Amino acid sequence: MMPRSGRLASALLSMLIFALFLAIWQAATRPSVGTQVADTEYAKMLGSAAASGQKSAMPSPKDVGLKMWEHIKDPFYVRGTNDQGIGIQIAYSIGRVTVGFGLAALVAIPLGFVIGMSPLLYRAFDPFIQVLKPISPLAWMPLALYTIKDSATSSIFVIFICSLWPMLINTAFGVSAVRREWLNVARTLEVSPMRTAFRVVLPAAAPTIMTGMRISIGIAWLVIVAAEMLVGGTGIGYFVWNEWNNLSISNILCAILLIGLVGMLLDQILARLARAVTYPE
Amino acid sequence: MSGFKNPYDPNIKLSAGCACGRHSTPAEHDAALEADSLASGSEALHARVVESAVMRALFPQDEVRRRFLRAVGAGTALSAISTFFPLGAAKEAFAQSGGLEKQSVKIGFIPITCATPIIMSLPMGFYARQGLNVDVVKTAGWAVIRDKTLNKEYDAAHMLSPMPIAITMGVGSNPIPYTVPAIENINGQAITLAIKHKDKRDPKQWKGFKFAVPFDYSMHNYLLRYYLAEHGIDPDRDVQIRAVPPPEMVANLRADNIDGFLAPDPVNQRAVYDGVGFIHLLTKELWDGHPCCAFAASKEFVTTNPNTYRALLKAIVDATAYAAKPENRKQIAEAIAPVNFLNQPVTVVEQVLTGNYADGLGNILKVPNRIDFDPFPWQSFAVWIMSQMKRWGQVKGNIDYAKIAREVFLATDAAKIMKEAGLKPPATASKKFSVMGKEFDPAKPDAYIESFAIKRT
Amino acid sequence: MEFLRVEGLSKSFAPPRGGAPFVVFDKVHFSIDKGEFVCIVGHSGCGKSTILNILAGLEEASAGVMIMAGREIAGPSLDRGVVFQGHALMPWLTARKNVEFAVKSRWRDADRAKTDEICQRYLDLVGLTGSEHKKPAELSGGMKQRVGIARAFAIEPKMLLLDEPFGALDALTRGVIQDELLKICAATRQTVFMITHDVDEAILLADRILLMSNGPDARIAEIVVNTLPRDRSRNTIHKDPQYYPIRNHLVDFLVSRSKEFTERQPANYDPHHPPQVTPGLGAGPPPIPALPAAPRPAATPLVAVIRN
Repeated sequence: MMPRSGRLASALLSMLIFALFLAIWQAATRPSVGTQVADTEYAKMLGSAAASGQKSAMPSPKDVGLKMWEHIKDPFYVRGTNDQGIGIQIAYSIGRVTVGFGLAALVAIPLGFVIGMSPLLYRAFDPFIQVLKPISPLAWMPLALYTIKDSATSSIFVIFICSLWPMLINTAFGVSAVRREWLNVARTLEVSPMRTAFRVVLPAAAPTIMTGMRISIGIAWLVIVAAEMLVGGTGIGYFVWNEWNNLSISNILCAILLIGLVGMLLDQILARLARAVTYPE
Repeated sequence: MSGFKNPYDPNIKLSAGCACGRHSTPAEHDAALEADSLASGSEALHARVVESAVMRALFPQDEVRRRFLRAVGAGTALSAISTFFPLGAAKEAFAQSGGLEKQSVKIGFIPITCATPIIMSLPMGFYARQGLNVDVVKTAGWAVIRDKTLNKEYDAAHMLSPMPIAITMGVGSNPIPYTVPAIENINGQAITLAIKHKDKRDPKQWKGFKFAVPFDYSMHNYLLRYYLAEHGIDPDRDVQIRAVPPPEMVANLRADNIDGFLAPDPVNQRAVYDGVGFIHLLTKELWDGHPCCAFAASKEFVTTNPNTYRALLKAIVDATAYAAKPENRKQIAEAIAPVNFLNQPVTVVEQVLTGNYADGLGNILKVPNRIDFDPFPWQSFAVWIMSQMKRWGQVKGNIDYAKIAREVFLATDAAKIMKEAGLKPPATASKKFSVMGKEFDPAKPDAYIESFAIKRT
Repeated sequence: MEFLRVEGLSKSFAPPRGGAPFVVFDKVHFSIDKGEFVCIVGHSGCGKSTILNILAGLEEASAGVMIMAGREIAGPSLDRGVVFQGHALMPWLTARKNVEFAVKSRWRDADRAKTDEICQRYLDLVGLTGSEHKKPAELSGGMKQRVGIARAFAIEPKMLLLDEPFGALDALTRGVIQDELLKICAATRQTVFMITHDVDEAILLADRILLMSNGPDARIAEIVVNTLPRDRSRNTIHKDPQYYPIRNHLVDFLVSRSKEFTERQPANYDPHHPPQVTPGLGAGPPPIPALPAAPRPAATPLVAVIRN
């Protein structure tokens, strides 16, 4: 663990980098002078940028900050089916991720366990895993919509099928790589296979399994944003798409920031869990 | 009938009354008809709607119908139809409001101005007036709208005109009978170019340009190709045309990835608003009255929830009638601009709907019919009428519209009159229309294609 | 009384690219009495660990039988406790929990109190009182090995198998634990089979020392009887006159005779009865062939002779 002074130093450095980044951004989006449109009535018909003879520009940090404040101030409003607070949208997304990821875990971990314990099954399943693993969620979505038809279920299915693989592979690997001597200890103590699986193999493979889960939650979060942009309705992905329609870059930047923060939060939760089951060799 | 009129005045007809029987003279009948059409009352409007629907069912070809009406007179036409078709019952059926089978209805829409009647009916209370609790749900794309309607997440949806037909025929999905487009909007698209091309208004200067359209199989692509070809530009060899989703078009224009696009509004006006492009040509100038989007529901929905469907239709008919009036458009723009609906600045939507807009080159143009809404439903409504009439035993068996049409023609001697005027009777009728001043005769498609300098055959 | 008998044990592998099978060891016969502490000594590759693994039931012999308490044994069993070469503690469990895992395996239905009592007893026995709640990462090498020993003892096995248990420890720690082991075995009269490289350790702990020739095709060349008095102590053992003769004999074997044996077996060598020798009783007398259940030669008279 880093000593107190070290941690303080790195925190200060982070803040400094951030401040520098904001400064560069602010300078880059400083409004330049253009030719003001003469006809005031015409000017009223245009956006502020076009009215001063320019293209609409990238928002400045101040614009984004103000927009962000607006969203955070009132995160749970409902002004219509297609207009709900950002808190509600994120809740929808997290809900879908939880279900999809949970289902994937329920399938991947037991299956990975079985595959890991049997070299025959490992080799038999391997080609399928290798082929299905790299398929992008954007490719699964149309297929899901076509067969499953229901968009909510399709989104969850796409999360499921994309976040399955890291957990499956890591579990299989962790289980197959359990130290032989621990298994031997269990054998000499006449421990039943069930008890060996739960008391020896599972704790031994747990750190690898948790690593797989941590990778998977990251993928699941990534996928849901993409899926929601395709399917729409609710969720942070839909929010991004809706604001894209309005070319509201500030809102999009707010959404991106929140997506990043939530992703980080999910990762941290799983990292905590991973630490709880990790043991020093 | 008045006995005081001079029976020898050739201008006065002795046969009492009009053909429909409700008026003493044909002139009175025509006048009444005229007054009817100006009546703003819902009931009169709905009656009009029914008549129009039946007319269209009998005479699907626009041009034929119009010339027929001109030849025999509107009154005569309708009275003739009444003889063969229980028009009164149909109007009455529509005027009733039966118990709604379903009060909560979900309608999907794409956030473009074509869907105005569907959207505006929510904030402006047209749905509520019919006792409906409608949820209009913004959807990410045409494919998703199709899928969500097929799996019944949506009861009805905003669709591109060809889509319901495609679904009925089973193109790209299981064949499910869809009612052909119920409501049309017409016009409402434009060709927009990047500001830097403001001195290149002549399409002949567009060699090497990159254009975007929303979809390869769309009205937009065909219109753009037609326009380019007419000016001697080969759409495949001299320019590039690619499919880009409408929200991304303005951004691509801004980034210089494309030089222009043909897209539905409000994308064109938005490009002007953002100072990125200017409006070169409204599609109204290419083909005034070209069809665009429609309101569609599955046949199953129509037949199992006829009263709900009727209420929906009434709401949308009222809304489109309201939207057809220019003085209402500003109010409508304010209602549909917010985040929950189009999510665009109000002024952008207003400029599209009112036709009073900035063109991006410093000019304010006034084109009132930049986008227009046709309040009269189409053949699907005829389907509904038929289901109701069968239900109430007013009609037994199927209605053979073509047969009735022929009989009506014979009854009014319209066939002879139309032949004299140089028209063909319905059986071998052709639908002719004009695009950019050039007429298209579907009876002679090959000749039409041959007549173009640029073609792929 | 004979407790374990091993007859005709052999281990060979079929080579991957065909050809004659590779024999690790062959025709291994020996027996262990109840309460006896037997060590096996030999160079790497002679198959000592394999013999232990076969005895533990973790590996299968290519030929031969093992009979313990009158019954043939095969496969692992709680009757044969194992202390592994690298402690093999489960790192996610505390010292106590590691022992408890074994106790629970042995006495499935024991209640909390009984289990706790047994665990504590054996942890105290190995001198780890106070360190029960530490995880293996927090224990030193010696302490970890002690937990391993406690775990093996806690199941009160009929026979204990130790696979070079002190190989990874430093000399001082090793010494301490050896003393403890000696004490425990003396107190519990445990039957033990141990592998070691350390001849001093063998002399300290064992009653008999099996000498294996070099592999491949290894045999038990000789069995050295430890003629030192039973209550040995590390501090004084080297002062005993028998110590160095035995030691030299063992070193001699390891240095040269283990190899010579493989090249040319002695004329009257019988694998069923490997010669039992008593180098502690003086060099000179020829090796006395070991008879089954032969009584231990009395050490005292000869010592008295030499001393006098």
